[in-house]
Amino acid sequence: MSAGTSPGSAAVTTDLSQGVHQRIGMLTRQLHDSLNGLGLTDQVKVWAGEIPDAKSRLSYIARLTGEAAEKVLNNVDQAKAQHDYIAAETRRIGALIVKDPVAAVAKGHVMNFITDVEEATKHIDKNLTDIMMAQDFHDLTGQVISKVVNLAASIEQQLVQLLIVTAPADPVVKPAETPVTTQTTTFEVHEHPVLEGPVVNPEGNPDVVKSQSEVDDLLASLGF
Amino acid sequence: MANELKFLVVDDFSTMRRIVRNLLKEIGYSEADEAEDGVVALNKLRNSHFDFVVSDINMPNMNGFQLLGEIKKDDKLKHLPVLMVTAEARKEDIVLAAQQGAAGYIVKPFTKATLEDKVNLILTKLGMK
Repeated sequence: MSAGTSPGSAAVTTDLSQGVHQRIGMLTRQLHDSLNGLGLTDQVKVWAGEIPDAKSRLSYIARLTGEAAEKVLNNVDQAKAQHDYIAAETRRIGALIVKDPVAAVAKGHVMNFITDVEEATKHIDKNLTDIMMAQDFHDLTGQVISKVVNLAASIEQQLVQLLIVTAPADPVVKPAETPVTTQTTTFEVHEHPVLEGPVVNPEGNPDVVKSQSEVDDLLASLGF
Repeated sequence: MANELKFLVVDDFSTMRRIVRNLLKEIGYSEADEAEDGVVALNKLRNSHFDFVVSDINMPNMNGFQLLGEIKKDDKLKHLPVLMVTAEARKEDIVLAAQQGAAGYIVKPFTKATLEDKVNLILTKLGMK
């Protein structure tokens, strides 16, 4: 059975729809007035601008961590290849020395082995340094994550404040008290507003340097 | 002897402090201590002997610019070369660091060769190498 087909029920649906529409309109107006009253409209504009920035920052983190993982795995592969080579050569030279120690030295096998090992250890040392350097993503992504967390915390804080201010005068369910109620309408999104941290999108930004050579050129122009 | 110079590595990320210390060791400077912010660094600088400071900029409590300012204001510390190693890539930050007396500026991420070049260049300029 369908209850929505009678003329009476259609009228009820229309009334309900108008009621919902009016209610949404009222809420929108209330939200708008509240935002204005709290001086939040500018802040909302800031959030609107910062959310795409947060997306860029998260992409930056994904890129940096991905590159770091790739770099580590590549260097481990190379180091393992060098290590395997040393192990195999050691076994081979060991067998030659056991068989004929004098010939092993006289024919240059031992000396060649020493040279090869020295060369291989240089490669491994470079691989290990590169693996260590790849860990710098922790610092760079940590700073970016901190900014995104600050933004999320700021939005949450202000929305909770907005909720409290716009709550009905005699609410059926009293919202739980939180320390946020003591907050003022002063907004502190960044701990160090002067410092920007890693540049996520340096392309097309003339105010930032994109490489160490640009830093050096700038310092040289200042007489350094 | 240049290899006996003592470095102070200042960065709020322990990973980065460890990386810089390891790199310094690889390029021949094994004497190094570390601090997690400008306040700790300044305290260590005032209570112990150091020859060179490698500092981040964006740190809690006291950032790298403030630390640099404090070092350059202090008669006992102002001779210390301070190399900034930071993710701050804005030109105005680089200019500010230079104006405040930084001996060099490296932008993260950096390479071992860059650190080695800058440290050696600064030490050579100051006649410490």
